[in-house]
Amino acid sequence: MDGLLKEYLPILIFIGIAFGLALVIVVASLIAGPSRPDPEKTSVYECGFEAFDDSRGKFDVRFYLVSILFIIFDLEVAFLFPWAVSLGNIGLFGFWSMMLFLGVLTIGFIYEWKKGALEWE
Amino acid sequence: MTALPALSLVLPEVLLTVGAMALLMIGVFKKKDSTSLLTGLAVLLMVAAGASLVLDPPAAGTAFGGLFVVNEFTSFAKLMTLLGAGIALVMINSWAHTEGIARFELPIVVVFATLGMLMMISANDFIALYVGLELQSLSLYVLAAFHRNNLRATEAGVKYFVLGALASGLLLYGSSLVYGFGGTTSFAGLATAMASAEAGNVGVIIGIVFVIAGLAFKVSAVPFHMWTPDVYEGAPTPITAFFSVAPKIAALSLFLSVLMGPFAPMVAEWRQVIVLIAALSMAWGAIAAINQRNIKRLMAYSSIGHVGYALVGLAAASTEGARGVMFYLFIYLFMNLGTFACILAMRVKGRAVEAIDDLSGMSKSNPGIAMALAILMFSMAGIPPMAGFLAKFYVFMAAVNANLVPLAVFGLLASAVGAFYYLRLIKIMYFDAPRDAFDKPDFSTRMVMAASASLMIVYFIVPADLVSEAASAAQALTGR
Amino acid sequence: MTIGLGHYLTVSAILFTLGIFGIFLNRKNLIVILMSVELMLLSVNINLVAFSSFLNDLAGQVFTMLVLTVAAAEAAIGLAIVVVFYRNRRSIEVEDINQMRG
Repeated sequence: MDGLLKEYLPILIFIGIAFGLALVIVVASLIAGPSRPDPEKTSVYECGFEAFDDSRGKFDVRFYLVSILFIIFDLEVAFLFPWAVSLGNIGLFGFWSMMLFLGVLTIGFIYEWKKGALEWE
Repeated sequence: MTALPALSLVLPEVLLTVGAMALLMIGVFKKKDSTSLLTGLAVLLMVAAGASLVLDPPAAGTAFGGLFVVNEFTSFAKLMTLLGAGIALVMINSWAHTEGIARFELPIVVVFATLGMLMMISANDFIALYVGLELQSLSLYVLAAFHRNNLRATEAGVKYFVLGALASGLLLYGSSLVYGFGGTTSFAGLATAMASAEAGNVGVIIGIVFVIAGLAFKVSAVPFHMWTPDVYEGAPTPITAFFSVAPKIAALSLFLSVLMGPFAPMVAEWRQVIVLIAALSMAWGAIAAINQRNIKRLMAYSSIGHVGYALVGLAAASTEGARGVMFYLFIYLFMNLGTFACILAMRVKGRAVEAIDDLSGMSKSNPGIAMALAILMFSMAGIPPMAGFLAKFYVFMAAVNANLVPLAVFGLLASAVGAFYYLRLIKIMYFDAPRDAFDKPDFSTRMVMAASASLMIVYFIVPADLVSEAASAAQALTGR
Repeated sequence: MTIGLGHYLTVSAILFTLGIFGIFLNRKNLIVILMSVELMLLSVNINLVAFSSFLNDLAGQVFTMLVLTVAAAEAAIGLAIVVVFYRNRRSIEVEDINQMRG
């Protein structure tokens, strides 16, 4: 076996143990646990009253909106990390470049705030 | 410490960037609808950016560590883009108010798209190229779907998005291969690498082919044109006018600066691909247009054909060819804007119509529009005494001088076939039975029509200035 | 066996091709197309990072960061366009994108 692959041996062992253990636990609870189903037990449980809707129904399109907005602002971090690590080497110019970038993002943020994209209702 | 980049070189871009963000803030904090105000300001921004290029031409040079290049070629291409975007913006604004969908984001998205185009034109590195291209493309997707309660417009947006994203992916894959096998993303570095012995590297060639495919998508050259007719038909008319000029100018300039810049030493490899797509575009643009009933679809095929003719100049791969392309683009810009102004004028009793049959007998009901459209159609067909003839003449001459006689002959044949449908429009307007008269178009539309139609004649009579401008742009590009 | 540049390029080429096929052969859902586009862009990232490490040149990794950001913006705009299309058409099936033909 080659050196590079050998480095991954612990991960292989870890995966083996994880799968094995999970399997053992599931099988054990199937065998050991008592199983006496009746209609009340198998019906959908929702805080003590009848379920309103199918639990696999569509969900609100507003989640999309929030996630779209999130993903855009989230990615600035991808630029912030390398910038923060190398800040000592890039000097004032590097610092102000990032400030400019954040300024542009802030403009975008003000826009979405004023537009009401962050309101849930 | 890095020195401050040469900001005087990027003045137009800085103006547009800062301006667009300022407009966004004005728009969002104003209570009333401010579309007209913001359009005015956006046009002013573009005029200012253009004026900074004309009045105080930036010295040739590079900025941002060689990512960004400025010379006469980029300035000429930027001026054309700004002209196209500015005029289209005026038409977009008046249309948005008639259709009642004016929203203040409209001019701002147009400014961002234009900014992306300027960045593309000045790109001197594959990273800058990609970012500029995406800024432009993403803004254009939004514009295509801007009429968001209209099924066809949103469908055009979906189609444009899917195929545009595919094109960006191809281009990106190509640039990753060029980077890997060429060793750098910078155009200057690649030019050195390509000139050395290890050029002809298969990896780089595959990369170039992918890049060409991606760019061909963006300029809608056959066989990567399939999105064009649907997007042109579905998107709102003035936005289609914008699509048909500004992005094409930017993408064709990019085509020139990529292939004739870093990859100039590999001309033997890429020329065959360009010859092929130029020939296919000219042929398909002429043939497929014949059966069209919708004038916007017709314009889509017409623009595919025109891209083919412009690519003939690129296939020549000479300074003369580049001059031909720049001249062609300038004439194409006004030809198309004028024609779309005529299409915008096609409104019967307040409702827009876009069937070719609606033009029937227009010479009697609307002699002015018919006259302008006829001049533009003659120019599109390349019939003298219109500037469209000269435009074709220069690219074909360049092709002949570059020993591409078969391509030039093929182009002549294609333009003869293409002339058929342009002349058919004129026949319908002048010899068929009249229908309902069109409403009187508003001032800006009439201005665009009249100005572009007269430019077609003016530039046939006195092309010298424009030709010398195009020639010095071409010289700046090829360095010869 | 060592894993060299060739392996990375192969993986990336396979993923890229899968992305293209996902766009063209997919007859069902627009969201799948969005995922295919993302797959294409990210396979390019594998290429860029592999080249960057192979050439000992940072430009490739800088490119990767920008591609990541652009891919996010592209996904956001794609989703937004799909949502407006859905509002008009009440469907995001690929076969329902059929208003214009020719």
